[in-house]
Amino acid sequence: MTRFSVFRSLAVAMGAISTLAACGGGGGGGEALAADQTLSFPIVDDVGDLDPAHMSAAVDIDIFHNSFSGLYKFDDALNVIPDIASGPPKISDDQKTYTFSMRKDVKFSNGDPVKSDDFIFSWNRAARIQGDYASVFQPIAGYDAVANGKAHDMTGLKKIDDYSFSATLTDPAGYWYTEVALWTAWVVDQKVIKAAGKEDDSAWASDPATAIGTGQFKMTARTPKQSIDFAPVANWYGGSTGTITKVHIEIVADQKAQLTKYESGGYSLIGNANQLLTPEDVIRYNSDPQLKKQLTLQPAARTTWIGYNFCEGAGKPSKNCTAASPFAGDAGKVGREALSLAVDRDQLVDIACSKGIACVKATGGVIPKGLKGYLGDNTDPWAVFDKAKAQSLFQQWGGADKTKNLIYTYNTTAFNKAVCDNLASQWQANLGFKMQCTGQDRASFFKARTKCTYPIFRHSWSADYDHPQDWFDFLFVTDAGSSGSCYSNSQLDQMAKTANTKPLSQSLDTYKAMGKILVDNTVTGNLVYTVQQYVAHDYVKGSGGNALYDFYWADVKILQH
Amino acid sequence: MRGTLLYIGQRLILIAITTVLVSSIVFLLLHQIPGNAFLNENRQTPQALAAELHHYGLDLPLQQQYVNWVQGVLHGDLGESLVNHGVKISPLLIRETSVSATVGFFALLVTVGLGLILGVIAALRQNTWVDYIASSAAVIGYSVPSFVIAIFGLLIFGHYLYVWTGGTLFYQPGWGKPEQIPVPALALGLPYASYVARLTRASMLETIRTDYVRTAWAKGLKARVVVFRHALRNALIPVVTILGPLVTGIITGSVVIENIFGIPGLGKEFVTSILARDYNIVIGVFTFYAGLVGLANLTVDVVYPVLDPRIRY
Repeated sequence: MTRFSVFRSLAVAMGAISTLAACGGGGGGGEALAADQTLSFPIVDDVGDLDPAHMSAAVDIDIFHNSFSGLYKFDDALNVIPDIASGPPKISDDQKTYTFSMRKDVKFSNGDPVKSDDFIFSWNRAARIQGDYASVFQPIAGYDAVANGKAHDMTGLKKIDDYSFSATLTDPAGYWYTEVALWTAWVVDQKVIKAAGKEDDSAWASDPATAIGTGQFKMTARTPKQSIDFAPVANWYGGSTGTITKVHIEIVADQKAQLTKYESGGYSLIGNANQLLTPEDVIRYNSDPQLKKQLTLQPAARTTWIGYNFCEGAGKPSKNCTAASPFAGDAGKVGREALSLAVDRDQLVDIACSKGIACVKATGGVIPKGLKGYLGDNTDPWAVFDKAKAQSLFQQWGGADKTKNLIYTYNTTAFNKAVCDNLASQWQANLGFKMQCTGQDRASFFKARTKCTYPIFRHSWSADYDHPQDWFDFLFVTDAGSSGSCYSNSQLDQMAKTANTKPLSQSLDTYKAMGKILVDNTVTGNLVYTVQQYVAHDYVKGSGGNALYDFYWADVKILQH
Repeated sequence: MRGTLLYIGQRLILIAITTVLVSSIVFLLLHQIPGNAFLNENRQTPQALAAELHHYGLDLPLQQQYVNWVQGVLHGDLGESLVNHGVKISPLLIRETSVSATVGFFALLVTVGLGLILGVIAALRQNTWVDYIASSAAVIGYSVPSFVIAIFGLLIFGHYLYVWTGGTLFYQPGWGKPEQIPVPALALGLPYASYVARLTRASMLETIRTDYVRTAWAKGLKARVVVFRHALRNALIPVVTILGPLVTGIITGSVVIENIFGIPGLGKEFVTSILARDYNIVIGVFTFYAGLVGLANLTVDVVYPVLDPRIRY
C-alpha cells in the first residue's frame, strides 16, 4: 500500500466515521445505518445516452438525474421547483420573455462555477445537436434556424449578467416552464466539452473522468454493458448528498438472474431506472405476505391503447396516408366503439398484467390517473365491457366483412403479445371474428407505424412531464410525430393551439375538453395504465419513485441488517 | 517447417480475405433491413431523427458509408455503438470475445473429454452393457439440441438444486463467477460430445483390430500403453478432422446458449445488436465470428500433422 493510499484509506474511514457521527451514531429516527452504504441495483440493458443533449430513454434519465441538474426539477408530486434557479422565472406580461435568476454558489463536480453562459451554451448546444428532446427549446426565438443548421445560437437567449439570463419565445407557451425542468435543459460544462473535442460529440459524457455535471453524484467507473459506478460529489454545493457512499449498477439481461441475486442480498433493490420484474415474480411477491412488504407498486405515467388507422384515402387526412382504413371517419367510429366495448378489461389485466398488479384498467381517458388532464375514474363509456351492444354495433358497422384478414401489429415484447393474444381471443368470443397478431422488431414497427401503415396496432405513451400538452402535441394534433394513426381534427388542433399559449391553471379545462373529444370519438381504444414495481429489502429506506421518475439516490439510506 | 509456415501464411491471407468479404456482404445486407437504431416511441421529430443519422454518417450514400467503414477497420476501429452512445466497439468485442472464448473453451473440453472417454470405453467394452449405455447416451445427446439441454440445465441446476439444497448450492445464471461456467459449457458441449463419442467408438473399433495393435498386445505391452499410446493416437485422427466444424458449431451455438444463460459474450451481443439495428456492432460481431472460425479451422489443420506424420504442408 502506498503512502497516498494509506492517507486515502484513513480519509475515507474518517469520513465514514464522521458521517455516522453526524447521524447520531445511527440513522435518522433512531435507525442505525449499515457500515456499507452501497446502493446497488441491476438494469437489463446498458444506458443509451449519457449526454443530456441526446438523452431520451427513461432508464438514462432516472440514473443521470442524480449527476446532472438544471434550473428546475420536479418534486415528488411532479410540481416544478427551483434547483439551480433561485426562484421561479419572471414572465413578461406578454408571456413571451422568461427571466431566470440563478444561485451564485453552484459548481460543477470539477469545481468550475456555473454561470449563465453555461446555460446559454448548454441550451444552444442541445438545439444544435437535435436529440430527440431538442424540441424542448422549440418555443425560443431563433430555434428553427439553429435546428436547420442555419444559425449557431438561438436569438432568443440573452445573458443579463453572470447569474441571470432571459429566454424570449416566438409565441407564448404555457407549458414551457415545465419543459425547462427536463433533462435536455440540464447544464453541461462548456470547458470540459470544448476540451474534449467537437462540441457536438458526446464522448465526454461516457468517460468518468470528463462526465462532469452539477448533480449530487458523479460517475466514477463504467465498463460498457457490464456496470456503472457513482460516488457522491465531495463538497457538493447544495450541502448533504445523503448517506450513500457508492452506487453500483450492473447490467444483467436476465430478470430471473437479477431477482436471484437480489434475494441473496446481492442488490439493494430492483425497479430503479424503469426496470420491471417478470410477471410471475410480481404475482409471487404480491401474494406472499412476507415478500409483499418488499414490493412497492407505483402507478406510472404510461397508457397502452388500441391504435386505429384514420386514413380515408391517399394523402387524406394526412400526407402519410396511402389507403382508406375501415376504422376511419364516422363510418369507422361504430367499428371502433364495437371493438372497444367487446374487450373485458378485467380479463385483460388479469392475463396480461400479472392479475392486475402490473397494470390497471384504463377507464379515465388516454392520460393516466395521477396526471393533469386525467378525466376521472369510469369516464370513458367505451372502456366498459358490453357484449350485446358491441355485437349490435359490430353488425351495424358491417364488421364481418371489414375484419376479414385483420392484423393487429405490435412491437414484440411479452406484454404486447399477451395483450394482442387476449384481444384476439376476446374479439373472437364476443364478436366472432378472427384477428391475427403480428409481432415485429421495434425498429421496423416504429418506422411503419410512423407512416400510418397498420389498420390496427398497439400504441402506448409515457408522459415526459405532467402537462397534457405532452400528449396532444405529439400524439393527436394533425400530423403529430408519434401519432401512428394519422388522426386529424381541426377543432382539436385549434383548441390545442389556444391552450398551449396559456398557463396550465387557465388551460387545464380546455385540455380536458380535448381529452373528452378523444373519448367521445373513440380515437383510442384505451386499455391499461401501467404500474411501476419496485422491490427493496426492508433495510433500504427512501427508495422508490413517483409516476415519472425514481427518487434521488441522496434520499436513500441503508440500515443495519 | 518452411512449408508449414508458408501454408499458415497462405491460410491467414485467405482468412483475412474471407473475413472482409463476409463483413462486406453483412454490411450491404444489413442496410437493407427496414428501420434504424434511432427510431423510438419518444417525441422524436423528423429533424431529430435526421440529425442522429447525420451524426453517425448514416445519411451518406451506402458506398461512402462502406468506404468509411473499411477505413475504420483498417485502422482497427470498428466504430461506435449506435444504441449505447460513446461505447467503442473494438474493445467491447475484444472483451466479449474473451467471455465467449471461455465458455467455448470449457464446452470444447466437455466435447473432447467426455466424447473421447465415452467413445473409448464403448469401443473397449463393445457389445456389453457399458457399450449399450454409452452408445445410447451418445445418440440421445446428439439428438437433443443444445437449447433444450440448456433449459433442462437451468431447471435442474438452477431450480431443483436450489430446492433440494435449501438454496445453499445452485446454479445462478449470469457471468463473473467460476461456478457460472459449467452449466452453459455442458449445454453447449454435450451434443458435440455425443458426436465425438460415436466417432471415437467407431474409429477405436477399427484401430484395435489392426495388425499393429494386435502385435502390441502380443508383445505383452500393458493395456494402458496399447490403448492410449498405440490405438487412441491413430483413432484420434478422424476426431481431430471434425474438430474444425465442431469449433464452428460451438461458436455459432453460443449465440443461443449465451442468450439463455445471460452470458455477456459475442453471441448475446449478436442477437441484441441485430434487434436494435446497431449496425456497427452487428458488422463487428460478424467480422469477429468470421475471423474466429477461420482461425479455429487453421489451428485444427496445424495440429493435424502432429497426429498423422504422413500429412505434410
